[in-house]
Amino acid sequence: MTFSKTLASATALGCAAFPFGAVAQDVTLDLWTIDDPGEYHYVMADEFMEANPDVKINVRTVQFEDMVNDLARGIAANDAPDITYIDNPEVALFASRGLLLDLKPYIEASDVVNEADIFPGPLSSVSYDGGIYGIPRGANTIALYYNADMYRDAGLDPDDPPQTWDELYEAAKVLTKPEDNVYGIAFSAVGTEEGTFQFLPWLQMTGGDYDNVDTEGGAEALTLWKMLIDEKLASPDTLIRGQWDSTGTFNAGSAAMSISGPWELPRMSQEADFDFRAALLPIPEEGAERASALGEGDNVILANSDNPDEAFKFIEFLYANMDRVWNEFGYLPASDVEVVDPAYPEIYAVFEESMKYARNRGPHPEWPKISKAIQTAIQYSLTGQASPEDALATAQSQIDRVLGK
Amino acid sequence: MTRIFGSLRDGRGFDTVLVFMALGYLLVFSAFPLIYNIVMSTQSVDLFSLASFDRPFVGLDNYREVLSTPEANLIFWNTVKFVVLSIVFQLSIGFGLAMFFNQDFPGASFLRGLFLAGWIMPALVVGAVWSWILAGDFGVLNYVLSSLGVIEEHIFWLSDPDMSLYAVIIANIWLGVPFNMLLLSVGLAGIPKDVYEAAEMDGANAIRRFFTITLPLMRAQLGAVISLGIIFTLQQFDLFAALTQGGPSNASNVFQYWSWQLSFQTYEIGLGSVVSVLMIVFVIFVAAIYVRSTRHEHAM
Repeated sequence: MTFSKTLASATALGCAAFPFGAVAQDVTLDLWTIDDPGEYHYVMADEFMEANPDVKINVRTVQFEDMVNDLARGIAANDAPDITYIDNPEVALFASRGLLLDLKPYIEASDVVNEADIFPGPLSSVSYDGGIYGIPRGANTIALYYNADMYRDAGLDPDDPPQTWDELYEAAKVLTKPEDNVYGIAFSAVGTEEGTFQFLPWLQMTGGDYDNVDTEGGAEALTLWKMLIDEKLASPDTLIRGQWDSTGTFNAGSAAMSISGPWELPRMSQEADFDFRAALLPIPEEGAERASALGEGDNVILANSDNPDEAFKFIEFLYANMDRVWNEFGYLPASDVEVVDPAYPEIYAVFEESMKYARNRGPHPEWPKISKAIQTAIQYSLTGQASPEDALATAQSQIDRVLGK
Repeated sequence: MTRIFGSLRDGRGFDTVLVFMALGYLLVFSAFPLIYNIVMSTQSVDLFSLASFDRPFVGLDNYREVLSTPEANLIFWNTVKFVVLSIVFQLSIGFGLAMFFNQDFPGASFLRGLFLAGWIMPALVVGAVWSWILAGDFGVLNYVLSSLGVIEEHIFWLSDPDMSLYAVIIANIWLGVPFNMLLLSVGLAGIPKDVYEAAEMDGANAIRRFFTITLPLMRAQLGAVISLGIIFTLQQFDLFAALTQGGPSNASNVFQYWSWQLSFQTYEIGLGSVVSVLMIVFVIFVAAIYVRSTRHEHAM
């Protein structure tokens, strides 16, 4: 199998797609992941191999930002893995080009995976054109972390975190202490997918969505973000900092609140020596619709995998262990499972609740272009180079062009 | 048969093989990608049609699209500023240091060696270090400037659209100075000492000696360093990735980073190719100057 892979990549130079079957009894699966050794996919692959000695899984780490490019290269060179992990907005991109295996028939025949148990958000992120092209590895969403000690010091009630945008703004104002180098809030408005990820829920709470960004609510959200930065309630570096770095300032005690996801918990529990808690993302006003971002990626099988049955068996195995992801790996289950004795039970409850409102980005095969338009609007309005209204109108026209409207 | 192998080993055949190997190398690794890039810039290509032949030609549409985007103008001028300011400061600081270390004083070569530390560090590491130095809230530079009383409020070097390009330029100057210093040191060492001694005896002062001896004799080196510097500056990618990602709102974006963004962030590879073709045209122009300046050197 390894030999045939080498041969395959060698012949790929001549663009010859030659069908290679399995030559040995034992099956080898190639798995690409963004995890490092010791993390989720590595642990799971080891456990699976122990339970299934006839299957060998080669795990390879690919950087998160490089995954799509490396996969495209791998597919072109006929050297793609059998199974891979991709971020959820990219499922439509790959599925629309026929590069992923439709798992629907496998799921229908499966005793383990039950489509109805998968939460609607994660399920829609893997659905494309009637097929199901992946199984969510887990789910993520964002919420408002806050430093309860700072709340008490500032005379705020730590049991009553901000519910609305106005309350959030007021709280940030009270919590900001320039003389101690403390900002009220940390979030990410960086010009990458992360910026879109953080902004989209604000837009969705006001009734907008990725295909309808030029709205009054969208402009209000951007105006609030701009106020937070202009009044130095959030660091100006919010414009170039990703979520991990922003939350780092929260952990270091330099920001009193932070908007981020459960993936921060393992680090936060080590670095933050204060009483940290979480609350749902504030809504525009009392009674408004809730929304949150939907993160985490999906386990997919490539359409030209030589061993789709074994690959699906492995994915079933991952799915069957969904109840462990929160406690062991720091993200939420994407299906209806019971988490026994969850770590940080209060925070888990917040994220579990937030998950109900988590909405997709897209899905759309041209998602990166749509996302780019949204990022540009965020950055232009926050730097004051365009008004929020103008920036969103420009984004809308770019998005309309992508959507073919 | 033996004659052929004999000729290959030590005769004229060997020379021929060497020439063809060099030519083949150039064709495969330089000419082919170059032409491929130009072809792609006239096609509608995305990530997945990259390896197939299903790529419709669109003529000059990609060029029109790239040049008509609202940010094209800004990014062009950013690129010009980035190259010109980087080169001017790298060259003058590098030249100054080279002359300084060309003086005979104890530890001169050791200190010169220290400057190379920056040059051998990977640019991504340099980027990470500079992002700590330039950070707005807790950056070293702000700390130094405010303790010296130069600034009252922190400067957000990386996230202020008026500053971010200059922040990357500062880091790039630091990165490029050792290279300039090293090459120019070699040139300075090659100028015979007695020329200076004769000039000094004739009563020429230091400034006059610099303009009448050092500068003319360094012409070839300076030309080479400037052209290589321009090429290296146009290649500088890692610092943008590590410091600002071209942001905020393209304030620090340059052609080379934009080309990557178009190709690998939004997968508009045809458009990314257009940007790199525009850069190739410019680099060819610079390369021509480089070739001229080195030919001048041979003539001496």
